[in-house]
Amino acid sequence: MLQQIIALIIILFFIFRLLDQKNKKEINRNEFSLWFIFWLIAAGAIIFIKQIDWLLQFFGFSLSGINFLIYLAVLALFYLVFRLRLSLAKLDRNLTEVARQVALNNKK
Amino acid sequence: MKIACVIPAWNEEKNITKVVTGVAPYVQEIIVVDDASCDRTSDLARAAGASVLRHPINRGQGAALQTGNDYALQNGADIIVHFDADDQFAANEIRDMIAPLLADQADIVFGSRFLGKKSNFPFIKKYIIMPLAWIFTRWFLGIKLSDPQNGFRALNRRAVETIKINNREMAHNSEIQTKAYQAKLRIAEVPITVVYHDFGQKLSGGFKIAKDLLIHKIIK
Repeated sequence: MLQQIIALIIILFFIFRLLDQKNKKEINRNEFSLWFIFWLIAAGAIIFIKQIDWLLQFFGFSLSGINFLIYLAVLALFYLVFRLRLSLAKLDRNLTEVARQVALNNKK
Repeated sequence: MKIACVIPAWNEEKNITKVVTGVAPYVQEIIVVDDASCDRTSDLARAAGASVLRHPINRGQGAALQTGNDYALQNGADIIVHFDADDQFAANEIRDMIAPLLADQADIVFGSRFLGKKSNFPFIKKYIIMPLAWIFTRWFLGIKLSDPQNGFRALNRRAVETIKINNREMAHNSEIQTKAYQAKLRIAEVPITVVYHDFGQKLSGGFKIAKDLLIHKIIK
């Protein structure tokens, strides 16, 4: 119970930070919605952790709900790193194109 | 028939004058792409008679080659030779490299260190790195050339227009070979000599090339 309360306080902190960033217009509406939904789902998973335990047992998994959430979080992180890597590669390619155009225009 | 030579260069003030003057008798225009050198590469290349383009930031050899290709196409080149700035290639072999293009027997000609002429290979490069590179390009990329990593090549206009180099660093070698096969260009290989002044590409560089090729296969 105590761990759940601590986890919910941390999530609440991140939601307040998110609202603050939205008010300061540091993030756009889509990004705000994405992260807001993410933190709501995280809070829901913590509140209903017993139900997740039950659901996992129902489907025959031996792991507990909290372990399942951790595996899920690691998977999500791997995916985000992969996406980040691809977007960096695209940025890198665009940067090369800009450097090329500068070189060609300076030669004219 | 206008022949241009593209020489990507980064901090090559020691060699660039010798390379440009060596190449000059065999081509109509020399295009040195200075990849943001910190030394006098640009000035020396210009003084030696080359057209110099300069990247504002360092982008790698593949990027510099594509910049040179774009410039050569804009300036009406019919044949484009890729040549290294580190004085490892023999300029008089440009004649052999462009001969199949002039005779319209090929669209792209790759230099090869394994077709008879002797190069002073470092031992590890010859017996470990090159066989690994050869296996990788043959098995994973389907390239059946005798030399998987050689920067000395000559292309006609059609080949340069067809092959857009996306790999900005050393993976451009394999990329060019792969795209030449995919576009069904007429490919020829010509024996060349390489004089090694230093070790050049290491095994770690080989792994980086494989990684870059993989990433560029994923992003479009």
